[in-house]
Amino acid sequence: MELTLCIIKPHVVTAPHTLKAIKDIIILNNFHIVDSLITAMTKDQVEVFYNEHKGKFFYNRLVTQMRSGPSEINILAREDAIRKWRELLGPTKVYTSRFSHPDTIRGMYGISDTRNAAHGSDSPESAAREISIFFPHFSITKWLRDNELISPVPGRNARANR
Amino acid sequence: MNSWLRSLLKPHNIPCQSNSKVISVFHHPYTTQVNKIFEDGDEGKPNVASKDSRRIYVFGLAEHGALGHTTKVGNERRRQVPRKCFKYPTRLHFGHYYQIKDIACGYGFTLVATKHKDPNLRLFGCGINSDSQIGYHDLRKKGSPLELIMSLVRIPLPFKHPNTQIIRIAAGRAHTIVLTDQEGAFTFGNNSFGQCGRGIVEGEEYHKKWYCHRIGKLDGEEIVDVVCGQDHSLFLTASGSVYSSGWSADGQTGLGHFNNQDTPSRVKGDVEGENIVRLSCAVDCVLAVNDKGDVFGWGNSEYGQISDREMQISVPRILSQCVDKGRIVDVASGGSACIMLNEEGSVYSWGYGILGQGPKVSRNLTPTLIPSTLFGKHQFNPDSRVTSLTSGVSGFGAVTNQGALYMWGKNNFAQLGLGNQTDQYFPLKVSVGADVHKVCCGVDHTVVLSRHFVT
Repeated sequence: MELTLCIIKPHVVTAPHTLKAIKDIIILNNFHIVDSLITAMTKDQVEVFYNEHKGKFFYNRLVTQMRSGPSEINILAREDAIRKWRELLGPTKVYTSRFSHPDTIRGMYGISDTRNAAHGSDSPESAAREISIFFPHFSITKWLRDNELISPVPGRNARANR
Repeated sequence: MNSWLRSLLKPHNIPCQSNSKVISVFHHPYTTQVNKIFEDGDEGKPNVASKDSRRIYVFGLAEHGALGHTTKVGNERRRQVPRKCFKYPTRLHFGHYYQIKDIACGYGFTLVATKHKDPNLRLFGCGINSDSQIGYHDLRKKGSPLELIMSLVRIPLPFKHPNTQIIRIAAGRAHTIVLTDQEGAFTFGNNSFGQCGRGIVEGEEYHKKWYCHRIGKLDGEEIVDVVCGQDHSLFLTASGSVYSSGWSADGQTGLGHFNNQDTPSRVKGDVEGENIVRLSCAVDCVLAVNDKGDVFGWGNSEYGQISDREMQISVPRILSQCVDKGRIVDVASGGSACIMLNEEGSVYSWGYGILGQGPKVSRNLTPTLIPSTLFGKHQFNPDSRVTSLTSGVSGFGAVTNQGALYMWGKNNFAQLGLGNQTDQYFPLKVSVGADVHKVCCGVDHTVVLSRHFVT
């Protein structure tokens, strides 16, 4: 079992049909939604979150876009969750992934390279760092220790949640 | 405004902003039935439009209700579900009863402006309304406010004079601009980047409050045209100068900075002092044409639409790659590719994506001719000529002088209306059964304004 952070960006949260389609993809791929939060990010949160991109030409537009409205922040759990969620998302650049990966979330529901529908953590370290920004009281080690015993089979709970 | 409507007037609590005139819009009863709207003509009879009537055809994704038209599919034993896509142009009966003036498509919503003597029946909209971009909002007795509106509902605007007519409408990702002949432009919807031209309020909720902002004149000049990008707005004044407001993180406002702009300001750079006649923008890249036929561009240039070296251009510049292609009369910029039209009717495309020039996705920095044969010009029909262009996010449309519509580009939600959902790599005629006047591309749907062949 692995945890990853998924952020559904503001332009999707205000489009109900796209939000529903993305959540269906999450559920159908046997992800558990461990914790969920709908909030507008504060300036400090976004700056810490995108610290690694600071100085790049797209940093300003990432920050202003994420602050433009409420986004939905989910902690997802699954075997090999980080790799699988990024595979479902597709490449970051929407205009190229539209043609190279047309069945991914970004290829279908992204509007532009910045408005690329959703975010996924790229490694276990960054997942831990990103989860701690938005869920400061959430402990990954504690959750893993508690849940490995209860639900070893992914998918059973996902079906029950629906 | 009659007494019945006056009785429904309920001013909202509006966050006050300095130097911003905010007008509250009144509540009105919610009508789900299209029939009821049509009954608002003379003596209870449908107000059937005359010879001048125009037809609206819609196609593309129908899930969000922006087509104003839904049908159920599935047999009787199974559960009937609404159809997801309309793959062929489907006629909206709305155009039968109202004289259509203009149409506009945003991200999942559609607006239709009409010519009507009742000021409350001059603007209609349908689709996503989660940021009040349709302006129509009604808290029902039970349940949550409507986020999706599946058929065209009227949008009453706070006109001061009952004779004010709408001349142009434009829609972005989640905001709307309505341009009138006497009272300037009305804006409503999402304002998180200042795209409505009023002050940005931190943490403002756009779902449950709604109001109009009026932009009268810009530096004493009348606005004659409005164009929306996804999150910014462009205003063209009578003397041909361009004003802009909204998101500027890619420089798409052309004001020389990368911050949000909340009041419309005059665009600088090479555009200043020129008489701009045509503006085009679908996402973040803006193109403009002046009366001499020069092309100007600013905004996002990650795919070489404006410059092959810089990614973001905040100061408008004249496009050197378009200089020797004749006098340009029309341009259309999509998300990653652009097209332009010269006065001889030749269409050129450049950028990245489906450029209409071959069976693959290509990248081309210099404008390349799309053969005019693809737009229906051949030895039996030598007079066919492209007259106007439009662009969606990665699809394009061209209308010829004979009223034919040609489209090409990405087609994953059948937004090209060709009867399939596969990408179209060269311009192909769409089977619209009427004389096409204007085509409007949203992100995943398309609306066509046309006139029937026999008048």
